[in-house]
Amino acid sequence: MHALAEAAIWCLVTLAVYAGSRKLHQKFGRWWSSPLLLTWTVCGIAIVATHTTYHEYLEGTHWMVWLLGPATVAFAIPIHRHREMVRRHWLLLAIGVSVGCILAVSSSWLLAWGFGLSPQLRASLLPRSITTPLAMDASSRLGGSPELTAVFTALTGLFGAAIGENLLKILPVTSSLARGALFGMGAHGAGVAKATELGQEEGVIASLIMILAGQLTVIVVALISSL
Amino acid sequence: MPAAAAISPSVEPKPVYRAGMQAIGMILFWWLAQCLTAHFHWPIPGSLLGLMLLWGLLELGLLKLHWIEQGADSLLRHLMLFFVPAMLALVDHHELFSLLGIKLILVVLISTVVVMCGTACIVEIGFRLSHARSR
Repeated sequence: MHALAEAAIWCLVTLAVYAGSRKLHQKFGRWWSSPLLLTWTVCGIAIVATHTTYHEYLEGTHWMVWLLGPATVAFAIPIHRHREMVRRHWLLLAIGVSVGCILAVSSSWLLAWGFGLSPQLRASLLPRSITTPLAMDASSRLGGSPELTAVFTALTGLFGAAIGENLLKILPVTSSLARGALFGMGAHGAGVAKATELGQEEGVIASLIMILAGQLTVIVVALISSL
Repeated sequence: MPAAAAISPSVEPKPVYRAGMQAIGMILFWWLAQCLTAHFHWPIPGSLLGLMLLWGLLELGLLKLHWIEQGADSLLRHLMLFFVPAMLALVDHHELFSLLGIKLILVVLISTVVVMCGTACIVEIGFRLSHARSR
């Protein structure tokens, strides 16, 4: 009974912090008010402060992680909704996604190798540029830790969304396609939010790039690991 | 979550129970895809197969967008809630709160800049080439 009550409390705490940080983010709308960052840090501090183990925390919250599967299926809706854009720009989308995925995986691998990181950490870093649920799946197939991949992926999104606009000031890119691709490939979900602030087309391109990059990476990883 | 707002621009919130029923439909669809991949030992994850199947059904018009879009939109709107518990596994990784953690952050930062610049430039080049050709 005690364990059940504890599980229920952690579930409610997580939901309450999430709901509260969403309200806060609506008010401030800055990177530090991101519900992802706030829920993560506040719950993390609460877990450490109460000497709860991660296993105990997960008892009450693993159903949330389980919903990542159905949420991934839901990515079909934005692709279908913007099928006109896919039809019109399919070649550029394909080029952007392929080059982006190759750059993401190869640069992570090279840097991780250069820093002498362990094979497990290296594998956890490789898929971090794609959307979290698919990155976690790819990570476990590569022999990485899906949980650490979730952390690296979140850092990628937060950082990418924060510096994207500064990069756009330096880079000689003017088309909304390239601007959207920068955010969708570099910072997945957080990048899509940022790209939408720049313009409607940027946001749509970013979300398409994000979803297609996730699909491509997972298919390639699944095929390689099944050989 | 503003990210989901971009992915799902449908604005007016309709009755919650309808979105809930549709979300349950999405869960069933995912579960079905999960069973398919497990039964036939396909190497791709069930969630990805579900995505492809749903996309195909929508394109073929066998499934109407309004049957599922509210449920799907609410799942995507709260996507970040679903992976926060996974990210909290960090509390079990004390070894990362050290020089190792700084190395990992450096990999993430440098690689993200490389990916963003490279992708934006290649798409921009492609855009200008196709523009020049069509003129």
